[in-house]
Amino acid sequence: MKNTLKNISKAIAIAGTLVACNPFQLDEIQDPNNPSVGSVSNNASREQIQFLITGLESRHRGYVTNVSQAWNTFGREIWYLNASDPRFQTDWLGQNGRTPDRSYFGFGNTGGGSWAAPYQAIKQADVLIAAAENTENIQAPARSAVTGFAKTIQGYQFMIPANFVYENGIRIDVADPLNPGPFVPYSDALDAIKAILDEGDAALQAAGSGAFPFTLTRGFDGYNTTEGLRQVNRAITARLNAYRQDWQGVLSALDASFMDLGGDLNAGPSHPYGASPDIFNPLFYVPNAAVNTIVVVHPSVLEDATPGDLRVENKFLERDQPVIVTTDAGALEGTHQDARWESNTESIPFIRNEELILLKAEAHANLNQTDEAVEAINIIRNAAGLGDYEGATSQDALIDEILYQRRYSLWAEPWGHRWIDARRYGRLDEIPTSFDGGTIFQQFPHPQAELSWDEYVGN
Amino acid sequence: MTRFYKLSLTLLFLWCSVGWAWAQYTVSGTVKDERNGDPLIGASLLVKGTTTGAVTDLDGNFTINIPTNEGATLVVSSIGYLSKEVEVSSSLSNIDITLREDATNLDEVVVTGLASSVKRSNLANAVSTVSAKDLTGTTTIQTTDGALYGKVAGATIRSNGGAPGGGMSIQLRGISTLTGASQPLIIVDGVYISNATQRTGRATVSGAGGSNQDDGANRLADLNPADIETIEVLKGPSAAAIYGTRANAGVIIITTKRGAEGRTTVSLSQDIGFAQPLRLLGTDDWSEEKINFFFPEARRPIELERFRAAQASGNFIDYEDYFYNNQATLLNTRINVSGGNDKTKFFVSGNISDEEGTVRNTGFKRYSVRANIDHKISNKIRFGVSSNYIQTDADRGFTGNQNNSGASIGYSIAYVPNYFDLRRNEDGTYPTNPYFSENPVAVTDNGINNAQVNRFIQAFTLDIDLLQTSNSFLKASFSGGLDFLQNRTMVYLPEFLQFQRAQANPGDLLKGKQESFNTNFQAALVYNWNLGRVNMNSQAGLVRLDFNENALFNRGRGLVPGQTNLLQAAIQQINQEFISEVQEAGVFLQQEANFEDKIIGTVGIRWDKSTLNGDPNQFYSFPRASVAINLANFDFWNSSFINQLKPRIAYGETAGPVTFGATFTPLNGANIGGLLGSVVSTQVGNTSIRPETATELEFGVDASFFNNRLSLEATYYVKNSQNNFQNLNLSPSTGVNTTPSNEAELQNKGVEIGLSGTILEKSNVRWFSRILYWKNEIEMTRLGIPVYTAGAFGAGLGTFLYAEGFSPTTIVGTPADPDTPGGFTIWGNSQPDFNLSFFNSINLFKGLELSVLVDWRKGGDNINLTSFLTDGGGTTNGWFDDDNGDGIPNGRQREPEPYNNAARWVQDASFVKIREIGLYYTIPRATINDWFGNAVQNIRVGSSVNNAFLFTDYEGYDPETSTFGAQAVANNVDIAPYPTPRRVFFHLTIDF
Repeated sequence: MKNTLKNISKAIAIAGTLVACNPFQLDEIQDPNNPSVGSVSNNASREQIQFLITGLESRHRGYVTNVSQAWNTFGREIWYLNASDPRFQTDWLGQNGRTPDRSYFGFGNTGGGSWAAPYQAIKQADVLIAAAENTENIQAPARSAVTGFAKTIQGYQFMIPANFVYENGIRIDVADPLNPGPFVPYSDALDAIKAILDEGDAALQAAGSGAFPFTLTRGFDGYNTTEGLRQVNRAITARLNAYRQDWQGVLSALDASFMDLGGDLNAGPSHPYGASPDIFNPLFYVPNAAVNTIVVVHPSVLEDATPGDLRVENKFLERDQPVIVTTDAGALEGTHQDARWESNTESIPFIRNEELILLKAEAHANLNQTDEAVEAINIIRNAAGLGDYEGATSQDALIDEILYQRRYSLWAEPWGHRWIDARRYGRLDEIPTSFDGGTIFQQFPHPQAELSWDEYVGN
Repeated sequence: MTRFYKLSLTLLFLWCSVGWAWAQYTVSGTVKDERNGDPLIGASLLVKGTTTGAVTDLDGNFTINIPTNEGATLVVSSIGYLSKEVEVSSSLSNIDITLREDATNLDEVVVTGLASSVKRSNLANAVSTVSAKDLTGTTTIQTTDGALYGKVAGATIRSNGGAPGGGMSIQLRGISTLTGASQPLIIVDGVYISNATQRTGRATVSGAGGSNQDDGANRLADLNPADIETIEVLKGPSAAAIYGTRANAGVIIITTKRGAEGRTTVSLSQDIGFAQPLRLLGTDDWSEEKINFFFPEARRPIELERFRAAQASGNFIDYEDYFYNNQATLLNTRINVSGGNDKTKFFVSGNISDEEGTVRNTGFKRYSVRANIDHKISNKIRFGVSSNYIQTDADRGFTGNQNNSGASIGYSIAYVPNYFDLRRNEDGTYPTNPYFSENPVAVTDNGINNAQVNRFIQAFTLDIDLLQTSNSFLKASFSGGLDFLQNRTMVYLPEFLQFQRAQANPGDLLKGKQESFNTNFQAALVYNWNLGRVNMNSQAGLVRLDFNENALFNRGRGLVPGQTNLLQAAIQQINQEFISEVQEAGVFLQQEANFEDKIIGTVGIRWDKSTLNGDPNQFYSFPRASVAINLANFDFWNSSFINQLKPRIAYGETAGPVTFGATFTPLNGANIGGLLGSVVSTQVGNTSIRPETATELEFGVDASFFNNRLSLEATYYVKNSQNNFQNLNLSPSTGVNTTPSNEAELQNKGVEIGLSGTILEKSNVRWFSRILYWKNEIEMTRLGIPVYTAGAFGAGLGTFLYAEGFSPTTIVGTPADPDTPGGFTIWGNSQPDFNLSFFNSINLFKGLELSVLVDWRKGGDNINLTSFLTDGGGTTNGWFDDDNGDGIPNGRQREPEPYNNAARWVQDASFVKIREIGLYYTIPRATINDWFGNAVQNIRVGSSVNNAFLFTDYEGYDPETSTFGAQAVANNVDIAPYPTPRRVFFHLTIDF
């Protein structure tokens, strides 16, 4: 009995200890790894706005790898040879009659780098705009500058899904994740993008002149003033207006852009890359590396080249050993690799003076302003070591010439220019498939996830 | 086990104790095997109604003091034998007792609750128990999960590959979750241990993709199987409900060996063995005709030149043979010291495993020390600790998936014709592989893929008898422990490798350090009382669980030759840092009622809350109820043919925990151009997420025939899970992709049948046989979100269909079929039709024992992408044959028509494996005495084979394979795996 009492008292002592450190008490566990999106929605600090701006630059380059590899393959500017996964060849080239479906290889259910990634940049810009508008920690001009920058990037990014699905149309009203707006036709989408870019331009203008009030990466060196960003905005607008076939609009946008007929053709804003913690330039491959995953120049680009074209000399490196990849659709042989990048830390421009001059030529040609068109063409030709244009000056001939020059001037830029150009002039059938037995795609269907969402909310 | 047995006997009979008398007498004698007269070592004897007991020594002798002058009843028991009650009195003080081997294990005590156990014959659930003898008695298996194959009805165990050091998955009664691995909760001596498959980084360096393609080991691999006394498997919610939130996929309760009262025993065991590949497939030969067909025109001259040179020199290399067919040495040393007295018992063990892999420079080492100590502080306070320190060191090589890097043997050699020599040049350099991006010989010789684990598992129990009256008993029971796991990984590809030379910064080094620290604590009050003729056992308790994990991975590229310090890298990168913290608390109540072992009923409930849930303060409840009726114990029963017949039914509910972070909508860090940015995550947190729950109804019948010589256990279950997690795809045009949802519902239905018995029982031969059969069917009863396909590598290569009315294990792929939900053709199902295992053990004469375990899996398809690779490279055996004679070789035109759709890779993975064969001889005691006198007590020698033979039509190294490791769905994808080894051993055990 004595023992029992002793034991009971021991048990009570233990129970007492338990109550002291209540085992039912759970701590509130915050995310130990990241801040929350909610933390910037109300009265964000200036630093938080800065992080969101840099985040926007990061999201802004999300499309580069996928669009460069895939769209340039669709337009047969390149082949993306990949021995580890034959689908980069068979599926992307449309071999054996393959055509894009809603969850096509390389794009998944979300459309990947050609759909989800640009929309993530758009979302980031929305969050940034909202954060800037809901804080007392920055002044009105800074708020306006942030909005202008964000909308400029949004305008650029919206063009990517629009061109990916083309006639299928895109959603423009995407601010509420649970209530996305309807799909609008391509032309309506382009008009809506025009409005966003114009709003961006107006907001930058409202921000006053001088340095952009936040830090931008070196990708915007030379453009990190409100004036400079307006020039970038207008350059993007010029590209958009060409897609809208608003040729006068192209010219007026170019006038306000950074176009410089006598200047460096490579001038323009870019996506920076670098060593860790940054990421490397995804388009760089070591010269003559013994690999079987590499972007190679499409044989038609080599075949159609004009002798003496400096662009061919500068952009393409003939490999010591060709790269051969065999799939069940046969073998592809790449003889030349991309020589544009000195190193894997080099920035990738996203719109350049050279394109602006070509847009000028194209606008004039479409407006039948032949002399101005030829003048612009010659700037490009001369820079490439080719003599002045001496061909026919009919509108068709000039368009032919401009599209040819665009193939070499804008080769394999992270935009898929040839695919888009051939489509907007109804020339997709001119893209050769004889080298790979593939198919030229016109456009992609909406990604499966978009359909699924509509089905889900319809339920 | 003995301890639990005795404890429960104590509980049952203690209230019969009626005061103390000073008079006493001594009973002595021997306990022997009834059949062959062998002495039974360690058999326990208990004076019924008291706590007085004794244990037999090595000769089966015992001496026991009976504390009264009156007659008494001895309860005699030994593991694997039917227990017996023997009357003794002061006039009958010297007795020889014989026990009969138990084919049915009806007396075995099964741990079913958090603070209780029940005799198997009273169990209302189909709980499988695997004893040490079943587990490791036939052969030596590296990991505990590997040793469970074919021993648990309802457990689908899969090996992910043949790499040394484990990598297994266990699914109990189908799948209970769509997103996780659906792996059971594992509890070792009361400690919730981590069985995570941790990241190794290999898939990052090789480019394969996510960490689920690392081919890492699940950390149950750390536990030394030889330390295990029993494993109890609670297969579903009806049995596991009292475990609450983490028990949806079942619970595996592991109990390690403990000391027994009596002479101190030192046992030394040594295994020596070798491993070789279980199966290789061969590669296709080349001819000039094939070269001209296969290679583009420009390439043919050089290929023909190489081919002719090889023909001239006869230098053709079978790369499969070269890489995989290396004989590996297997060494295992174990030492156990155990013993104790009335107050203190101990079991101390040490283990060294050193096993090479069949691929050069791979292997697995494990060093494990354990001390299990039990001590009676007083008659009323018992205290036990189990301490286990483990170090494992695994080199698992480079196999499996890769992208671009060529850092996978199987992937690379799929593309290399046998006339090209990749082997090391005499000057120490390696030929450049013109067929792929890397020379796999150089990777095998110089690459490192190592994981080194340091682990400490500590358990404690404290039982306090609070109150004893003549017919009731109150006990407080405390238990808990910790599991600290540190895993250091290194993946290294030196700078001179072909692919590395082709990089801007050659040389790649990824080092990881992962730690997990889990603690759990449980306190319970157990009250045993009588209500009329019904014995009642009431329990109430609380549970507290804490799980902390952190991981840090750093990567260096551009390495100084030969250096593996990250500071010797030009590009230094923090690859990953991740921290998670989880806290959970629960309360449980359980009431058992036992009417004279005739009707046994249990009701219980558990409430749990967790910081993982959307509302961390909400308790979720998990009730259970069960009843078993022992018809043969009723007085009206008088069948001599059926001596046990027990219908039983059980119901229970459990849950699966929410994934850490499901409630968060984070801003992720993103560095660009020297600045740090915050980017909006593409996952939107769900702040109302709740655990996925399951309900299970199980019923069945247990029967024994011919005086326990034959037993049957048949069970049918229906397990319905609700609120199953899956990602709801948001409209990606809103810039976000997914949010976790609780929409899906699954149903698993199945049958488990076990039939075991002693076929022959003669004085010089005993033949025991056991057949286990089980099958499970899965159906998605509700999807709740639009139909989707996911898993593996997309529709072109076979993926999985998530649609109402289908099993998520349904394999679909190209071509499109608009009549099927999801729009693709159905090509197969990864769920087997059924599993059957057949175990036989034959004891011959004195001391000779042969056992064989056969494992049969019928049905279940794999996605065989190894064939996809070798077809791409022209190396599949028979590639250039043309079975249908249409001029297109097989390798370019795989059935079914229309050719070259996803169906070509979906293959039936049925197999029969002779899983274990063991032949042992125990040297007769007399011989030992002649040789060594009394210094040596026992010598056992033997030989065994693990994975002895494989019979299958599947075109791969092993139908059991998973390039994505352990996961609920898509755990059947075959990509250039490490071939499964056949392991052959010679064994020697000496007891001193």
